[in-house]
Amino acid sequence: MATNPMHQFNVYKIGPEIKINGIDLSFTNASLFMLISGIFISLFLLLGTKDRKIVPGKFQLMSEMLYNFISKMISDTAGKKAKPYFSFIFSLFIFVLFCNMVGMLPYSFTVTSHIIVTLAFAMFIFIGVTILGFVIHGFKYLKIFVPSGVPMVLLPIIMIIEIISYLSRPVSLSVRLFANMMAGHTMLKVFGGFVISLGLVAGWLPLTFSVALTGLEILVAFLQAYVFAILTCIYLNDALNLHH
Amino acid sequence: MKKSDDLDTRLKIAKSKLESSEIKTDRKKGVFLGNAFKLGTELVAAVAVGSIIGFILDNWFGTKPLLIILFFLFGSAAGIYNVIKAAKKMQENKE
Repeated sequence: MATNPMHQFNVYKIGPEIKINGIDLSFTNASLFMLISGIFISLFLLLGTKDRKIVPGKFQLMSEMLYNFISKMISDTAGKKAKPYFSFIFSLFIFVLFCNMVGMLPYSFTVTSHIIVTLAFAMFIFIGVTILGFVIHGFKYLKIFVPSGVPMVLLPIIMIIEIISYLSRPVSLSVRLFANMMAGHTMLKVFGGFVISLGLVAGWLPLTFSVALTGLEILVAFLQAYVFAILTCIYLNDALNLHH
Repeated sequence: MKKSDDLDTRLKIAKSKLESSEIKTDRKKGVFLGNAFKLGTELVAAVAVGSIIGFILDNWFGTKPLLIILFFLFGSAAGIYNVIKAAKKMQENKE
């Protein structure tokens, strides 16, 4: 069981099978770990906001720093107009971050290493931002496909390129997170397997590698959550402030 | 209430210090790494999306190999365009 590095990504059902209108809604290990991340987030933020002191305790300091971090990121990338969307970006960031971090625990399951999860996030953002753009700017929003200062001859080609570039947003957003998480966890498992198969003689070398890789993976887990959130801000900025 | 007043001023000073420099230098490294990841996928995703659009249009109009080739090229152009846009943004942030 443990020798296959891809085995960790298997999704299996926990408990009874639930089917509603032919759609499988069974509780799986993926849902379990989403729930666990959700519980961790709630605990973390509840502990942070439980007793609001002037001199913050450990958890209060951490949650306040997180709040400041996200609010600064939003004002840096999307400006003041994006303030109403703070709660959305904050929950998105913290959920992706906690899913990634929970995945770093041994014997756990990384929810974000499945493309269907990340694609669902990305499509939600993409469709939401597109609707938002049309609601705010009306049909003027189509202007983002027509950059200014382009000669008429080139315009049709540029428009096709712009449309493809716009449509590639959810793909690049989801593939980036999924590929980074999956590649990292596969690599960790492969190096872990080397430790076992090389034994006491030469197993120390891959062991040091996998210790280093664990550190790298924690960095990547944080960074990917950050990139995911910052790109959402950038897309939001394009929808809110039309300036092409 | 003197104590809390004192704390308020100290908090203000600490906050202004934080905002001025520390956070930025700390975060810079992470931003660069994030940008590096960004550029790679941006390039590939546009090519993939372009090719898929070409494939779908080919199936619709029955012009099997033509449109997929054309849209593959458009996709590559869009990918390079994306990378140039991202690089420009990086340069703006630097200044």
